[in-house]
Amino acid sequence: MPVFFVFLVAPIAVAVALFRRNPRRFLDGPTEDAPLRLLRWAIGLLSPQRAEWGQAMLGELAYLDGRWRRVRFAIGCAGAALVMPPWGRAAVGLWALTGITAASVAVYAVLTVQYRLGVGGWFGVGGWIALAVVLLICVGCLLGASALLRRPGIALPGLVGGLFATLVGLVLSGFTAVDQVTYISTGWHRGVLVLAVPAAIGAAGTLWRRDPAAGRRVARLAALSAGLLQLLYATVAVAVLGGGGPPDADGGFTVRGTVSDRLGNNVVHLAVTTLLIALVGWAAAALTGYLVRRKSAPAADPVGEV
Amino acid sequence: MQRNRPPSPQTVNVLRALAADPARWRYGYDLGAEVNLKSGSLYPILVRLADRGLLETAWEPSAGSRPPRHLYRLTGDGRDFVAALTAARSDRSVTHPRRRLSEA
Repeated sequence: MPVFFVFLVAPIAVAVALFRRNPRRFLDGPTEDAPLRLLRWAIGLLSPQRAEWGQAMLGELAYLDGRWRRVRFAIGCAGAALVMPPWGRAAVGLWALTGITAASVAVYAVLTVQYRLGVGGWFGVGGWIALAVVLLICVGCLLGASALLRRPGIALPGLVGGLFATLVGLVLSGFTAVDQVTYISTGWHRGVLVLAVPAAIGAAGTLWRRDPAAGRRVARLAALSAGLLQLLYATVAVAVLGGGGPPDADGGFTVRGTVSDRLGNNVVHLAVTTLLIALVGWAAAALTGYLVRRKSAPAADPVGEV
Repeated sequence: MQRNRPPSPQTVNVLRALAADPARWRYGYDLGAEVNLKSGSLYPILVRLADRGLLETAWEPSAGSRPPRHLYRLTGDGRDFVAALTAARSDRSVTHPRRRLSEA
């Protein structure tokens, strides 16, 4: 029940945060056209050695008229920016996460076909709808990650944080496929996964960059990358086990029902992991920033009047 | 490690377009339109040419609220490279006249 409350509140909290950051933009929408926004997004992924070329593309776009001309030019430049070597950390991170996501969705699709999940459920297409929902969630995670990866100094600590959270989760749950489908965190395991690890990521991000805003971004990127990594591992585990392994308590009595239930659990786990790491990491980053500021405040005021 | 692969036909087209009037600075979009290349193909070619020292780049001062625009032209090495390329092609066409016929 608390998890569903978090799901319900999270979109509202995001909307409030966006409104507080820039009320005008929230109400009026973006001030730049789609080609310019696409190109800005893409050149943010360029390595520092290629930054000048990104500015060259932006400069050229500014002199182009006609919507479709601009769109074609921006799409071409965005494609070039994504593949042009040497890759910056942001592009490497984005491609790594895209590969992980594509692998997860591909395995999910294979399972949907192999166990005929696509012909069961609502109106006979429930499995395909579930696959589409998974794809949508994964693309959302990727877009969120791409926005964070473009921020200077966030890619490396964020991705390392995601890897750390995934490894801790695997160490606690066990590495085998059976461990993946049967593990339920209890006791101190839950404390480590829900509080200690996300808090450590947020605090480390703040201390690394000496900036609580960077720490919050690191926590969010770690949350998204950990969610996607764990989804891949768990989906592969379902593929390895199929309908085998220990019986599910609520997964139905057929192989199809068991596989479908396990895949569904993975998606819920993705959402919970992402939200928890982002939320707790965000809070830990903010708290660390506050404590660091408090500690360094007397040094900034040698007279001691404040 | 620097690779010395022969330039692609698209790169050759860009080089020839630039060599047609080597003193003139060119805009990226106009160059792409002239050689019929999309921006996604043109910019990687320009980047590679600049990395190899064959292309000179400069910024045109911005006009009004618009950002500055990037300009391109061949360097001295670039002109030599195009001349060598043209000579090599004409040599090859003399050595393999059949190929020239098939290209025609």
